Amino acid sequence: MAGNGHGQYKTFVGGIHPPYHKELASGQAIKAAPIPDKVIIHLQQHIGAPNEPLVKPGDRVEVGQKIGASDAFVNAPVHSSVAGTVADIAEVPNFTGARVKSVIIEADKEQPEFQKKENPNWEALSADEIRQIAREAGLVGMGGAAFPTHVKLTPPKDKPIDTVIINACECEPYLTCDHRLMLERPEDLVRGLKLLMKAVGAERGIIGVEANKMDAAQKLEEMVKGEDRLSVEILEVKYPEGAEKMLIYAVTGRKVPPGKLPSEVGCLVQNVGTAIALFEAAAWGKPLYERVVTVTGQGIRNPSNFLVKVGTPISVLIEAAGGMVGNPQKLIMGGPMTGWAQSDASAPVVKGTSGVVVLTSEVVDVQEEHECVRCGKCVDVCPMFLLPNYIATCVKKQEWDKAEMYGALDCFECGCCSYSCPAYIPHVKYTREAKAKIAALKRR
Amino acid sequence: MSVANRLMVTVSPHLHQEGETIQRAMKDVLIALVPAALWAIVVFGFNVVYILAVSCITAALTEWVMRRIMGRKPTLFDLSAMVTAVLFAFLLPPTTPLWVVAIGVFIAVGVGKELFGGLGKNIFNPAIFGRVVLWFSPLALYTQKFVEPFYWKETGFFTPIATSISETVAGRVVYKTLAGGVTDVVSAATPLSLFKSGRMLADVVTGPTPVGATWLTPSGRPSLGALFLGLKSGCIGEVSVLALLIGAAYLLYRRTIDWRIPAGIVGSFFLLNLIAWYYPVHHLFMGGLALGAFFMATDWVTSPVSRRGKWIYAIGIGVTTFILRYWSARPEGMALAIFIWNPLAFLIDRYVAQPKFGEVKAPLFYKLPSFPESSSSPAKKEA
Repeated sequence: MAGNGHGQYKTFVGGIHPPYHKELASGQAIKAAPIPDKVIIHLQQHIGAPNEPLVKPGDRVEVGQKIGASDAFVNAPVHSSVAGTVADIAEVPNFTGARVKSVIIEADKEQPEFQKKENPNWEALSADEIRQIAREAGLVGMGGAAFPTHVKLTPPKDKPIDTVIINACECEPYLTCDHRLMLERPEDLVRGLKLLMKAVGAERGIIGVEANKMDAAQKLEEMVKGEDRLSVEILEVKYPEGAEKMLIYAVTGRKVPPGKLPSEVGCLVQNVGTAIALFEAAAWGKPLYERVVTVTGQGIRNPSNFLVKVGTPISVLIEAAGGMVGNPQKLIMGGPMTGWAQSDASAPVVKGTSGVVVLTSEVVDVQEEHECVRCGKCVDVCPMFLLPNYIATCVKKQEWDKAEMYGALDCFECGCCSYSCPAYIPHVKYTREAKAKIAALKRR
Repeated sequence: MSVANRLMVTVSPHLHQEGETIQRAMKDVLIALVPAALWAIVVFGFNVVYILAVSCITAALTEWVMRRIMGRKPTLFDLSAMVTAVLFAFLLPPTTPLWVVAIGVFIAVGVGKELFGGLGKNIFNPAIFGRVVLWFSPLALYTQKFVEPFYWKETGFFTPIATSISETVAGRVVYKTLAGGVTDVVSAATPLSLFKSGRMLADVVTGPTPVGATWLTPSGRPSLGALFLGLKSGCIGEVSVLALLIGAAYLLYRRTIDWRIPAGIVGSFFLLNLIAWYYPVHHLFMGGLALGAFFMATDWVTSPVSRRGKWIYAIGIGVTTFILRYWSARPEGMALAIFIWNPLAFLIDRYVAQPKFGEVKAPLFYKLPSFPESSSSPAKKEA
């Protein structure tokens, strides 16, 4: 079976080659998005315990002020992205449709610049200090899953980490925010990588870039020249190259066992945006309240990469990108492979939002689900080597034990199976159902 | 803000591989079968076209009527009935009477596919199901008379065969044509049955073929070239290995079929023949091996989905074919081997574990996880 060393570039086994359409937005420099009249900041934007609000309606807030926190360990505080007045604290649906407690802030007409609290000695920070900074700044994985960063920076004592990998694959089609960050801020990315290595005591730092971003890879290679500990690894253009386990395997050849974390094989993976945010937090004292979001798709007039305040409704971004064109049929928050389809453009941007994609009816191909014809294509493309068609069949029959047997719990919902399914079976939908049900059954 | 009126909300992923449909795959198979069909027409005359036509029309009617009766949506456009029809026809001798073709394909599509629940739920390859039922039915009489290649020079290229009447004198078979005429041609043994009975092709066929080549080596054995190109008697579809390989290459290139299955079948079969020293190369080019390995055993529905399962299934078919060809009373083994392994495909998927990514000690067999006692009863439901 093809391993990680075959072919021109390293990669994993399985996966797909979707049309990427990165060209729509990859040439667009990052520019500031308009600041909306109102931002909606969810108190829970991450995996873990929710935050309690630290402000009440009527309070004045400043840019970067902490407005939600919790004592729980697996948690990331949230900060105000604007200067303004708290209008309300209410339950607002997030991009998945779940209602979450949120702070709604009316933004001032005049927004002051963020006052950097420069720390020239950021390179001398200790591991504990870096973890503390990551936590205080509310850092989460900015690739989509939004797992609190400081938790990842605290691996079990008996599992030392020797390698930090920067996930610069951006394997999701259409999205270009990480690509732009690498082109525009390669130095800060490398600084962020060094901080991450320091935090976990790793002696190796590798930036994994897909071969469709050679311009970025070249810039990064210049940056790491002369540094023995750092390197750039060019990876095959294949989805989901940026999935944590796939990336670790492609870069190091190590396999994270089912149900285990990357620390099991001595690795830590962080996304480009997170690394840069860590640098900003350490050197400038800047919490995570804004991020780069790609607004793109055939249904967007002027595809763009925006620096967006967390809490900005996506309607504002679509408008800033010239509005929709053609026959828009799907509005997706995140990338087209793993993102969430929206019924309207009201959802606010969260820390994990990497893109807003509008697909037109020419691109969208939704068809009625057929009976599985057992072609095995889902099995061929599954990077986790599961049997997606059987998981779907078992869910339909409510045979939850068998669904687990075929690997439902090991699925990370990349969607390769549904992408290649000639019967148009929505495997991800079934697998999510299986995961929820199996978890419920196991709790009893 | 011009947010579209009708935004579609579905679960991710929001992209689908362009053109990846059931219909596309079936179309690929039909395209891949064209070279073999054309060669069959050249070798066995226009009766092949009549057989294909009757098979396709009957299959379409059967599927449409059966689905209507059972209150299911019509699925003719997925072309699976057409694939079954052509493959079924390929498994017949070129002189099979047309009414037998119709009955056979009705069994294939109506019973083999639709009664099992339609495409995806059939546990047998419908074409093989239809063929095997015919074998073990009284109609077998009509499906075991083989003729020499280019027999049509005696009967006329366009003459449709309506019925066959069993042997009359010394190896000649009388056929009744559709128009009511009677014609008789030399009946021929297939190369496989010659091998089986220990005779050589020389007993039946002598002299140069109509295209100049001879299908015998000086020692009296069928020449490998004749077997490979298809200058031999046999079923419609299996006549030319070359034509089948051209189609198979297309299917492999299009990734419609998985390479593991033909590789496993041909590999294991060849290896066993080699060990037994049973004309290993000749056997590769005889009978239904190529047709079965590339077009029948690779049938999506009736082969396992896991990588490990595919190897087990393929090697199983290869070994079974060898056993049948070497020891059984009938010369042919491929179709029966696939028929035996078809239902096992489901069992293989159920029990043989595919190791997950990163699994260190991957178990050989799946183990059903157990939930706490109070778990819902449907979980206990065993299919």
